[in-house]
Amino acid sequence: MAYIRSNQQSFNSPHAAKMSEGQCQRLYWACLEILERTGVCLYNQEAIDLLDKAGASVTDGNRVRIPAGMVEKAFSTVPKNVALYNRNGQRKIQAGGHRSYFGTGSDCLNIIDHRTGERRLAVLQDIVDGMKVCDALDNIDFVMCMFLPSDVPQDILDRYEMEAMLNHTIKPIFYVTTEFAGCKAAVEMAEIVAGGADALRHYPFAACYINVTTGLRHNEEALQKLLFLSEKGLPFTYIPSAQGGVTAPITIAGTMAVNNAGVLAGLVISQLKREGTPFIMPGWGGNMLDMKTTVQPYADPEKRSQAIDFSHFLGLPTFSLGGCSESKMVDQQAAAEAALTLFTDALFGGNLVHDVGYLESGMSGSLPQLVICDEVISWIEAFMHEVVITDETLALDLIDEVGPDGQYLDNPHTMKHFRDRWYPNLFERSNYDSWQKKGGKDLGTRATDVVEKIVNEHEPERLPDDIAKAVHEVVLKEL
Amino acid sequence: MIETEKIIEAILIGDDDKVKVLTLEEINKGERAGEIMREGLIAGMTKVGEQMEAEEMFIPEVLMSARAMSAGVEVLKPHLKTEDAAVRGKVVIGTVEGDLHDIGKNLVKMLIEGAGFEVIDLGTNVEKDRFIKAVQENNADILGMSALLTTTMPSMQVIIEALKKAGIRDQVKIIVGGAPVTEEYAQEIGADAYGPDAGSAVRVINSIL
Ligand code: B12
Repeated sequence: MAYIRSNQQSFNSPHAAKMSEGQCQRLYWACLEILERTGVCLYNQEAIDLLDKAGASVTDGNRVRIPAGMVEKAFSTVPKNVALYNRNGQRKIQAGGHRSYFGTGSDCLNIIDHRTGERRLAVLQDIVDGMKVCDALDNIDFVMCMFLPSDVPQDILDRYEMEAMLNHTIKPIFYVTTEFAGCKAAVEMAEIVAGGADALRHYPFAACYINVTTGLRHNEEALQKLLFLSEKGLPFTYIPSAQGGVTAPITIAGTMAVNNAGVLAGLVISQLKREGTPFIMPGWGGNMLDMKTTVQPYADPEKRSQAIDFSHFLGLPTFSLGGCSESKMVDQQAAAEAALTLFTDALFGGNLVHDVGYLESGMSGSLPQLVICDEVISWIEAFMHEVVITDETLALDLIDEVGPDGQYLDNPHTMKHFRDRWYPNLFERSNYDSWQKKGGKDLGTRATDVVEKIVNEHEPERLPDDIAKAVHEVVLKEL
Repeated sequence: MIETEKIIEAILIGDDDKVKVLTLEEINKGERAGEIMREGLIAGMTKVGEQMEAEEMFIPEVLMSARAMSAGVEVLKPHLKTEDAAVRGKVVIGTVEGDLHDIGKNLVKMLIEGAGFEVIDLGTNVEKDRFIKAVQENNADILGMSALLTTTMPSMQVIIEALKKAGIRDQVKIIVGGAPVTEEYAQEIGADAYGPDAGSAVRVINSIL
């Protein structure tokens, strides 16, 4: 008997979209219209000259209007995926499509110290501890420095951040620097670790997070970084922060249009500088200012998902945003906002989901919060699994064999498959008595215990001494 | 008797036409312009400030109220005596060198303008000498500085020291703000005041003048 089953392996897995293809198309046209009609102000001569030569119109010295054809051309050379390696040259991340990876955020001023529960200014050791925790957690795929070290010379704090990341984890790195010089120093350090500029380009394990003033105003350092990294063929994000009601219309569509016009302008410049440059766009859109508190909310429900849909339409990888909260402490709000933002980003297919562990709108961070997020991501991964419907999983023969009165507990099929199901590490399922016997601890306390254990016991793979020394010399160069 | 309640109410709902009409009525009744200003317009904006700090009003509403207040001031201007000047003081404001964050600074600017101050906005990435020159040239009563980065915060202290050197530190009150700035930091660098948000900025400025 022939075994013919049409469309056997076509699994469905959870996915969602807020915007239809038609809506994305309209948004794209809106961006193109803004670029052609309103234009962008660029504060960097090389970028202006590149666009001018390629056919854009330049007025008032730095107002650049970019014809749609130039944008379309950029899409023919930009890669749809960005691969990232770990420090040891292993390919770990393939950002693009609907694949999601998770990582921390950068530069929180304060830490909620897990030992005391108190909020205090962060120091370099907090970054070291943070990187150890990231290195140990299964579901953290890439790192940002998490904290701002208040105990190092402030004008070169970004060098210390980069060094601490390189020293204390092998996971892919997204570095942030205030000025252009810091970006060059970070690349120099990464090249030392990779074993040269070519090695870093072929096996990039560090990418730059670039912010841009607004969609239509591109600051000098952002453009300097973009041009420098494009020339080197190294990956970076290009993230303007148009804020609804302030630097863009309050409507989500209006803010998205302004912001993404800026993204496309950056894309064009990067491809003019060097075709094939990897380019990562923002995975959130429609930033608002909370008109009561004047805070820019990270866990805002309405700014999620549409930018991810748009990125899929454009075919660009996203730097997404989740695991963050406006709460001032590791509490119920923090857990709820972190879980919801992680869940939506994964469901819609955001690629590099960063800011995991952020509290207080990026003003403070917490290691126990990060550990809780790690558990949430594990839960989400299990949720996102497709349902496997095959002869083996339906087990009709077995059902018939066991019959209505039998049981499956000691059946080999159960033995074979019970580990396919998800088990929590941190979430508590015990009955009341067992839970009490274990100390009757709440989630925050259990997460704190995990942090303590990792910080005390986990030893990330060290950089060879000579390399670590060479990296440190780059840090000290500016002193 | 000035019908202060009505004026305050009109400012609270941001009805600039109504504020104009009410102010004109008071003038026609023979009330003193300075009093209408203090008891009506400024009292109205003080209430707005309180409601904003209590998170009961949204920024766009506050700005509407500020606009309504300015409409009233325009009506009063020709009638004001020199001692109750239409402008309550001059404020020089800017984001310090190396820093491009201006959303908070702009909000603060709009609200102190709304409270009746003249504001000279130097923009972002403002270097030390531009602050000093602007304070001198405008004979400013207040200098407001904004910094959103720990790396740029120290320039606020540098500017305060430079004002001392130029011998004009005592002529101007200094208020600082921005997400990483704290009350203690403001004291440490010798500023006169600190404003944690736009709502409190106006109240704090009034309290140090
Ligand atoms: C929006 C934003 C941006 C936008 C700014 C757009 C613009 N036109 O301003 C962009 C994308 C350009 C940006 C860039 C960068 N940013 Co930024 N940014 C933010 C963010 C998310 C919100 C700031 C904001 O606008 N808030 C809303 C406004 C209304 O609030 P506010 O500014 O705090 O102002 C209120 C009060 O502070 C007070 N106030 C402010 N000024 C004054 C002045 C006076 C006189 C008074 C009385 C009161 C007062 O009143 C205001 C109203 O209530 C913050 C995170 C945060 N939670 O603050 C990070 C943040 C400030 N940025 C950060 C970083 C690292 C950067 C970059 C270095 C990243 C990069 N390498 O690309 C660059 C630096 C660019 C530069 N040279 O300045 C860090 C700061 C770290 C540090 N070193 O201190 C933060 C904390 C985020 C983080 N944790 O990583 N950023």
